[in-house]
Amino acid sequence: MNESEDHKSLPQDADYSGPLIEVRNLTKKFGKKLVLDKISLSIEKGKTTVIIGPSGCGKTVLIKHFIVLQRPTSGQVYFKGRRIDDLSERELYGVRTHFGYLFQEGALFDSITIAENIMFPIRQHFKGVKWREAEELVKAKLAMVGLDGFQNYYPANLSGGQRKRAALARAVALNPEVLLYDEPTTGLDPIRSDIINELILKFERELGVTTIVVTHDMKSAYKVADRIIMLHNGRVIADGDADHIRNHPHPTVQQFINGQVSEDDLAVLRMSGTLATSQFLPRDFQ
Amino acid sequence: MIATLGSKAIQDVINAGRFGRFAWRSAAVSLRRCAHRQTYPLIWNQVNIIGVRSVPVIMITGAFVGMTLAVQAYDQLAGMGLEEHLGVLINISVVKELGPVLAAVMLAGRIGGALTAELGTMNVTEQIDAVRSMGTDPIAYLVVPRFLACLILTPVLIIYADLMGVVGGALVSFLQLGINSRAYWNFSASGVELWDVSIGVVKGFFFGGAIAIISCYKGFTCKEGAHGVGQACTEAFVASFISILALDFALAVVFKNVYLTFWPLKSLV
Repeated sequence: MNESEDHKSLPQDADYSGPLIEVRNLTKKFGKKLVLDKISLSIEKGKTTVIIGPSGCGKTVLIKHFIVLQRPTSGQVYFKGRRIDDLSERELYGVRTHFGYLFQEGALFDSITIAENIMFPIRQHFKGVKWREAEELVKAKLAMVGLDGFQNYYPANLSGGQRKRAALARAVALNPEVLLYDEPTTGLDPIRSDIINELILKFERELGVTTIVVTHDMKSAYKVADRIIMLHNGRVIADGDADHIRNHPHPTVQQFINGQVSEDDLAVLRMSGTLATSQFLPRDFQ
Repeated sequence: MIATLGSKAIQDVINAGRFGRFAWRSAAVSLRRCAHRQTYPLIWNQVNIIGVRSVPVIMITGAFVGMTLAVQAYDQLAGMGLEEHLGVLINISVVKELGPVLAAVMLAGRIGGALTAELGTMNVTEQIDAVRSMGTDPIAYLVVPRFLACLILTPVLIIYADLMGVVGGALVSFLQLGINSRAYWNFSASGVELWDVSIGVVKGFFFGGAIAIISCYKGFTCKEGAHGVGQACTEAFVASFISILALDFALAVVFKNVYLTFWPLKSLV
């Protein structure tokens, strides 16, 4: 197989020893809303980094910047030491083949089968690949996530957990160096969540990929993380290994990891009125 | 109020610029990709969805246009004793104006709505981002096959609409209105030229291109949620409809000038 894209502009592994991904003073605004506020961090090769934080704090926006699916309002993004946020969309296509991205809802193409979904990136980037070869690759990728035999199913015919695993098989189709997981366990039962956690560990172990996971599932975070970063109001408020996060003195970190509602939130709920007076009863409509 | 109007005007200019860039990129990538063998299966798939499945509705539209024209125009012509000229009026109206425009409007509703809904759903469920994340240009993969299929098929579908319009008009004229068929066809043949048919077909390229680009753009930029997709479909249809009428007017002016320029040369040919 001949890879069609030319990625010579990126340093080869032997030449480069710095952080795999780096963001410097990354700021992102949607209109007037500030989502990321001058974030600077670097991701080391071969490690699993988990980004945690409450819903809407900018976790997904941050990892979308790692492959420039979102452009920063200001700041820079580097991959293997090369700035990538200022590349054109066309130049980015080559860079993005180094990444695999598992979207929150899987984002499988629902008009084609699972096999065709996984074949998609293969046939896009390896023009000369024969159909038989591609089928073997699909079979191997599906076997890795325990879904061999589901080739001819459509995404709508799979359960939530199976869809995530099929999407994961597509994400690793090009043997990426970096795997980005956006809320991989959201919406899954505890057992299916643990299957996804085991797959994250398996891919790290067997494929040697650098892993970045966005989640608010602390059980999952503790299980897979080498390093945990917590975002709050668009800023990094904690950064370290699982023990560091467990014992972090910041009250917001403790509230989040222990799943406790803050006094401010409770005050808002109290001010919203009581349930009995605000709720319509069926007899009100008779 | 002035500030609101000003910001709305700025936003409209920005949106027009975005649409212009999207249309330009789609046309440029289409030109590049139409020589790639990899694109052909994608186009073929869209040919089936856009073309084959639109044939019945387009034929029905064409037939009713011809039949209605026959019924409406008969009394005026019969009053002047010109009922045998009915064929000229029906056929020239069908092939030059009503066939292409009404067929394109039907396609804007049927195909445009479907394209916007499909791409809009892909947009809100992050499938378009997934295409980008795998290092593929979503315009090349999603827009180009739809654009080229519309470009190729709209003129073909207009020919179907024209054909059925001619047949529908003739049937009503012969069977219901009792017009002599020989005279009907003779006057039609002398009044309708190849040029008239060509105008309608060439309009189809422009109408098809406009429907595809507008619908794909609305799908790519649609807002989140079921409401967002629904709104994008409505906007796509309205914008396509207005574009068809505006293009029809502009092309009528252009073709008339072309005809007047080259008409004196016709006698030499």
